Parts: sequence; C-alpha cells; structure tokens
Amino acid sequence: MIGVFLVFPGLWTLYIGATNFRLTGVSAREPDFVGLDNFERALTDQTFYHSLWLTLIFVFGSAVVGQNGLGFTLAWALRDARKWIRRTLEALVLLAWILPSSVVAFLWIAMLDRDGGTINALLGTVPGIAWTVEYPLLSIIVFNIWRGTAFSMMLYSAALSSIPPSHLETARLAGSSGTQTLRDVVFPHIKRHALTNTLLITLWTFNDFTPFLITASDYDAEIIATFIYNKAIVGGEMGYSGAISLLVLLMNLLLALVYLRVARRRLA
Amino acid sequence: MAGIEISALTKEFPGGVQALNGLDLSIADGEFFALLGPSGCGKTTLLRTIAGLETPTSGSVRIGDRDVTRLPPGARNVAMVFQDYALFPHMTIEDNIAYPLKIRRQARETRLKHAHDVGSQLGLDGLMRRRPAELSGGQQQRVALARAVACHPSAFLFDEPLSNLDARLRLEARTFLKRLQRQLGVTTVFVTHDQAEALALADRIAVMEAGRIRQIGTPREVFGRPANTFVAGFIGSTPMNLLPGVVRDGAVLVAAQQLSVLDVPDGEVVVGVRPEYVAVTENGPLAGAVATVENLGTSSLVTVDVDGLSIGAVVPEDREVEPGTRVALNPTRVLVYRDGELVS
Repeated sequence: MIGVFLVFPGLWTLYIGATNFRLTGVSAREPDFVGLDNFERALTDQTFYHSLWLTLIFVFGSAVVGQNGLGFTLAWALRDARKWIRRTLEALVLLAWILPSSVVAFLWIAMLDRDGGTINALLGTVPGIAWTVEYPLLSIIVFNIWRGTAFSMMLYSAALSSIPPSHLETARLAGSSGTQTLRDVVFPHIKRHALTNTLLITLWTFNDFTPFLITASDYDAEIIATFIYNKAIVGGEMGYSGAISLLVLLMNLLLALVYLRVARRRLA
Repeated sequence: MAGIEISALTKEFPGGVQALNGLDLSIADGEFFALLGPSGCGKTTLLRTIAGLETPTSGSVRIGDRDVTRLPPGARNVAMVFQDYALFPHMTIEDNIAYPLKIRRQARETRLKHAHDVGSQLGLDGLMRRRPAELSGGQQQRVALARAVACHPSAFLFDEPLSNLDARLRLEARTFLKRLQRQLGVTTVFVTHDQAEALALADRIAVMEAGRIRQIGTPREVFGRPANTFVAGFIGSTPMNLLPGVVRDGAVLVAAQQLSVLDVPDGEVVVGVRPEYVAVTENGPLAGAVATVENLGTSSLVTVDVDGLSIGAVVPEDREVEPGTRVALNPTRVLVYRDGELVS
C-alpha cells in the first residue's frame, strides 16, 4: 500500500522532474530526459522565489501565529466556560474545519465580494473594497486562520486538560497573576503539544491549495501550491512543476527535521 | 499565626450536591487539626473552601482577624500541600521551593538563599539543583512541605499529603510532619481518611459524614467516647463491637446477659465495646465458641460467636486461643447508644 500510494508517486515526481514532460505536444508523448535542467531553472526563476516568499508569509501569518494563537486563546478562554457555551463555540469552530473546501471558498467569495459582500456591508464601505483583488494575501491569511483554528483549539484543549489541577491551584495560592500562571505553569506543560501542533499546521498550510479557490491565479497571492498548479495545469509544464514539487517536498522534510530536532533537544 | 473561624458554612455544587451543610468550626492558633471522614464526606471541600479554591454558597471563613470569605486564594496567606505534591516538573527543587517568593517579587538571590535555608531544615541538602522527577516520593513530599514553609503562611492546609507514600515511609513522614509542626507552631488543617493518621498527628479531630461534623474532640475523646455509632464505627483500627441490647431497670443486657449497670432510661439500645476492652476469661457474662483468630502482630483479634452475635476481642500474643474453644468474654468500658447517639 505504502509502495503504491507514497513511494511510487514520489519516484514518479523525481522522474518527471528530470524530463521535459508537457501536457500537450511532442514531449507529452515522448518526454526527453533533461537531467537537472528543471532544478537549475527553478533556482534562477524570480517568480519561484516570489512565490516562496509569499508562502512563508502565508504560513507564518495564518498558521504559526494565527491558528496557533487563536486556537490557544479559544481553548484557554473556554476551559472554565459553561458547558453549553463551550459546546456551541466548539461546534461552530469545527464547522469551519469540516465543511468541504468548495463550499467554504464560495462562502468567503460571498463575504469578500466588492458589491454586496458581507464584510463591506458590515463596514458600510461605499463603494465596496474588492478584498480579494486589493488585499489578496491578507484575504487568504484571514481565510486560513478561520479555516484551521479548530484543529489547534482542539489540540490545545486536550493539552490544557492534561495539566494537573493542583499545579494551577498551587499558582493561584501563591497569588500568581494570569500571565504568571501562563508563563510558569501552562506553557512549560504544553510545550511539546505546541511544537507538534506548529509542525502539523505548518506542513498543512504549506501545501494547502484551497486559497486558489478564492484568489485564483492572482500573482500577489500565488503561494507555492498555486504556483505549481499554474505551471503544471495552466502552463502545461509538467516537468518543471515536477521539479518544483520535489523541491517543496525537500523543504517540508527539512522543516519537519528542524522541528523534531528542536523538540528532542529542548524537551529532553 | 492565626486561628481559623468557620461559621454556618454551606457549599452546594451545581447539580444540587450538598458538600458542606451549615458547618461551624473553630481552630485555635497553632493547633494541628485533622478533618477525618470517608471519601465524599466533604472534608476536602472544606479544606479547599478555607484555601479559597472553592467559593462557599453561604457562611463565612475567618483567618486570624480577617474575614477571607470573598478573598482570592493568593490574598489569604495560606499554603497548601496537595496529595500529588504539585511540584513543577520543569523547575529545579530550589526554584520550586522559591516559587511563591518569586510571585511576591523577591530578588532571585534572596529567595534562593531562603529556599536553601528551608531546604536544609527539611533535609533536602544536595537535592536543590535536581528536578522533581529525580527524587523519591518521600523527598518530593518534603519539597512540597518546604515550599509551603518557605512562604511563612498563617496556616498550612494539607490535603492527604501522606497517602501517596508506602506504608513504612508514611510512618516516618508522619513523625517528621508532627515534629515540624511543633517547631513552627503554625496553625495546620490536615485532611485524611486514615483514622490512625488523624489519631497520631492531630491535637483535635473533626469527624465528618455527608457534609456535617459528627464529632469534634481530642484523639483520646474521639477514640474513647465516640459521640455516635458512625464515629464509633469509623475510629479504631479494629472495628468497635456494636451490639443490639436492651436496658431494663438500669441493667444493660446483651444476649440476655447483664454487662453493666448504668443510669439510662429503659428501652432498646446499641451497646458499643472496643475489642481492646473485651477480656477473654474463664468467667464472664458472655460465653461462646471462638470462630476465627486474626494475628495482629503483638496481639490477635479473636471473633467469638455468642448466641448468633459476632463479638471481637483483642488478646495479647501469649494468650491466644484455638478456634472452636469455648470461652467467656468480659467487656469493660461499655458505651450505650440510643438512636445512634451516645447516651452513656
């Protein structure tokens, strides 16, 4: 199973990354082996670096800061809330996570629309702001925070409930403030969870394609998944996009290794 | 240094569970006070209400001359030791002990020096740089005590601090705890479900059942004259004999035999006798065959069948009897209960 679904596609990407395989034309039929040409091209391609930079901002803003921060804040705020309030909020947040991407994307297009969009209506901006056109990167960052916070919230809820109540009470008896308790008791306890969570959401966000459904091929929001799609399907350059996919795979691998390194050293 | 005054304290949890039911209690300055009872009797809730970790539904708590009922835990100047010790695993022992001082914004040098002083007083020299996970259960327990001592509270609140130790260590820790409390002279409230622990440690004991205090007294009073059959059955390492009996013209009768003569009105009663106060003799009011013999080390618990009643008696190690032997029993220090309450 692993061979068919993981190893083979991986090797196949390696193979087409080393050819001039295209969707149409002669080289679709008989791709030629071009060695490392595609990789060389990628590493000198300004649009590739542009896309990588956008991806970094996107991942950092929406996942590492946004989902992490909002997820933890929600989990912390809701831990003592009444059961029905917690349940309702959890259900709402979860809904954003479990709805199909196409539905969610449509909702957000409706929200962000220049004419008659919900946000413009709320802000009372006349004429409306075309959010997806004027602030495409911000749009997809906010969208992705909204979309992915549920996971972080659930993970942090579980992490917070694993803190022994007596530890929190010891802090209360010593008279420590909310911030002191977070610093001295809560964060040290959930460090490991936070690292795992950040790794997971970083990787997911890095490879996320849903923003394409909102901002389409907008150059100012062309994160790496969109970039690959545009090169492969729209541009037809399967070989080149295969090479880029492999580079992205390597970056993800590197990221995961760095996280695991940190996790082992800091928490050992 | 301060006494603790509790008046008309009631705590009802959401869902209608009445954990404390109009409690009045007065704990003297410097007293070692035990809250004793079976699980679910409200003793831990009472302790946590004194600490401020639970808010009472009604009633008040005073520590010293301050009404602390509405004060947050941090403003009450009390220190608590939890059953699981609640040591922060990521901090060294010295940082754990100095933690309350850190919150009080003492300089790092001052608070570490103080932590080391308290640590060496509690025999923790050489462990100060370690982490809690590297310490044994007994050592961890002393670290938790040290953290409580270091912040000079007006009262110590202990929530079953000995119950996570194994039996031998628990005895050592008990002696240690009693000596420490004597030295410091700080008012101490101690929750336990172990009657032997309460008898050994406390100056006074409150025996609790279902959110109420059933008896308050010194260990001697609670052991010698339990105020009701609940306390009688709860205190003592061998359970007290509670036998159905009648009083006729002042004569207390069990199994139609007269045990003693007391100034009690006639009627049906429950007669309580501790197995330690039942002598196995050749001549006594009660007679029967020995059913079982349980070895208790320096003594044995002998259970005798008397007209269908099982009566326990403790005999010294050189006076053991064989099961099946017919013996006579001579109970002394007979207590008489009517409707569950002590009448004589």
